Amino acid sequence: MKQHIWGMLTVLLGATLPFSGSTVLADHRSGNVVLVGGAISQTGRYAEPAGRQYNSVKLWVDQVNQRGGLLGHKVLLTMLDDKSDTQTAIKLYEKLITEDKVDLLVGPYSSGITDAVANVTERYHMPIVAYGAASADIWERGRKYIFAVNDIAENYQKGAAHLAKQIGVKRIAIIGEDSLFPRMSRKGLEQWAKQLGLQVVVAENYATQKQGDYTALLQKIKAQRVEAIFSNSYFDDAAAQIRQLREMNYDVKFFASTVGPGLPRFAKDLGPTAEYVLGFSQWEPNLSLGHPGMKEFIDAYKARYGTEPNYHSASAYASMQVFEAAVKQAGSFDREKLRDALSTIQVRTMFGTYKVDEKGMTNHEGLTFQIRNGKRMIVWPPHLAEVKPILPVPKWSER
Amino acid sequence: MEQAEIRRVYLLGAFIVAAFATPFAVGAWSGNIFYDRQWLMDLITVCLNGLLQGGVYAMYGVGLTLIFGVMRIINVAHGEIVMLGAYLTWVLFNAPEYLGLGWHLDPLLTMVITLPIAFALGFAIQKVLLNAVVGGPELTPLLITFGVGIAMINLVEWIFTTDYHTIPYQPDAFHITETIFVGKNKIISFAMALAISLGVFLFLKLHRLGKAIRATAQNPEVAMVCGIDVQRIYLVTFGLGAALASAGGALVSIQFGFNPETGVQYTVVAFAIIVLGGRGHYLGAMLGAVLLAVLENLVSFMVPNGSAMVEMAAYTMIVGVLLIRPQGLLGVKET
Repeated sequence: MKQHIWGMLTVLLGATLPFSGSTVLADHRSGNVVLVGGAISQTGRYAEPAGRQYNSVKLWVDQVNQRGGLLGHKVLLTMLDDKSDTQTAIKLYEKLITEDKVDLLVGPYSSGITDAVANVTERYHMPIVAYGAASADIWERGRKYIFAVNDIAENYQKGAAHLAKQIGVKRIAIIGEDSLFPRMSRKGLEQWAKQLGLQVVVAENYATQKQGDYTALLQKIKAQRVEAIFSNSYFDDAAAQIRQLREMNYDVKFFASTVGPGLPRFAKDLGPTAEYVLGFSQWEPNLSLGHPGMKEFIDAYKARYGTEPNYHSASAYASMQVFEAAVKQAGSFDREKLRDALSTIQVRTMFGTYKVDEKGMTNHEGLTFQIRNGKRMIVWPPHLAEVKPILPVPKWSER
Repeated sequence: MEQAEIRRVYLLGAFIVAAFATPFAVGAWSGNIFYDRQWLMDLITVCLNGLLQGGVYAMYGVGLTLIFGVMRIINVAHGEIVMLGAYLTWVLFNAPEYLGLGWHLDPLLTMVITLPIAFALGFAIQKVLLNAVVGGPELTPLLITFGVGIAMINLVEWIFTTDYHTIPYQPDAFHITETIFVGKNKIISFAMALAISLGVFLFLKLHRLGKAIRATAQNPEVAMVCGIDVQRIYLVTFGLGAALASAGGALVSIQFGFNPETGVQYTVVAFAIIVLGGRGHYLGAMLGAVLLAVLENLVSFMVPNGSAMVEMAAYTMIVGVLLIRPQGLLGVKET
């Protein structure tokens, strides 16, 4: 028995030794295959947006293989499920890097999980394009191997804050789940509010995975005579809040949420209640944005999944385009060469132009939309607006 | 009643009054209370809303307490049955539309179909998995139901994915007075919850089978000696508990979003309620549900950053109650 354990230890040690160096080339794998791997929330509370990103990664893998692969290697995808749980994600990324020895690493979903996983990828010098993250914090820690494609969380409510100023809103409330991304979004909004002269009368975070009844919180906001509510929320909380505003017959000038309304189910499930809600989007399947390859992507995504891509899908696809360009430029799968390529190249993707600063952040600009007749219509920034926003929104009794 | 016992009851009363006074004190101190008519109306709305929410909480709680009371089984899959009930309701609600008929089935009407399905499911779980272990160590059924819960989550995920769903049922406000509004769906949910739990309560009190269930809860051996088929009572009890959970699921589906993994939240709430109200005590579960929900709402309404402290307040109250009265509010001391 004792011998057995020593034998196992030797094998384990032997297995880790060759990879203590930083270079891992695709050539080590038989059959000319390059392994792309990651872990994303296929189940749990992030599964809805994360699933859309996974869809795009799968789409890209098939397309790149049709084009002849990456540097002549066939791309193989292994995507694990982190169950929307940070600890699980950390373990899986360790496993992907040390056991599965993936050649290219793709990101998880949500800022919180990405931030935790970045500690792992940084340690192994694995470059990663963070399509699932938007909190500036991640790039403020001096990391060198993580690159952004999204507009930062701090700007998610920027458009809505400007619209509030335009229609003369004075008293606002900021609410959101108590996790990294909503907190960052709140931090950014508080700065915008200060700059634009909006008075934050209520600012509260609520417990993660709460029961789903926000009536008392909204009642508190109502008692403070708040005119507009900024909710840094995902799907379930945003949906509950707008429903409960209607149940309370509380007429705000608008309700703006960050992630929820951008998910196609939001308008579909809530029907008329979702009308006039403001939401944030990194991208819309709207050809007037004018990025190259948009139409091809939208068509291919629709043909395969039977639904329009949203910005989650788009940012993941764009990240893979960036990776592809970086691999071509680096001419190898060497981690350091890839990192250098990712930090210097400029790529025009269907999502926008990718070019990062010394921190690894982009200046991708997000959009604010309003739900109109069940569709997301861009209302901000003004030069991209499809329609004029209807603000203040009609009273519940007049709908 | 012994003097010590009476002293405990007074102490318990004082503790609960203090628990409910705390959010007011904090609210007054932090400037979240306004001394005008409008604010008073807001307060009434919040309390009313807590009461209505308590009705839904009670739906989760009564089924769990019934199963525990009769069989001493801790059903960890209870929340998953609630979740399943929500999905069944959602499927039937959308079924006619899906078949191209262009209309939706009323979510309350679907209970006519979903409750028997849930009853049958509970019956089957008890028959196949649990009957063999009733009366043994409490850990065994706990582990079995834990496994059943996980299997249910994965099954529902596999069929419906992890997307959130909700039913936009009666979304408008109900005007109680000029200034007090509550959601129509909340009123309907509360009325349903009250009707169903009172119905089951009366069944337990008056019906022959209900009396047999209570007799089994008190002492299975004596019940058996008196000619009650205890095995059959177990099957009916678990079926009834599952049907009650599924009714809770129907009420969840018309008020909140749900996905395959929200079940655990309902389990936690249900446990809190039955521990507070008295394990195995039917009316205790209803009382516990209302107390818990109203306190949660008051904290959220008046305490600064109160929404993040709701659970802390709720569990502090539970721990306090248990310290003073370990059997819960209405529970009977175990001998």
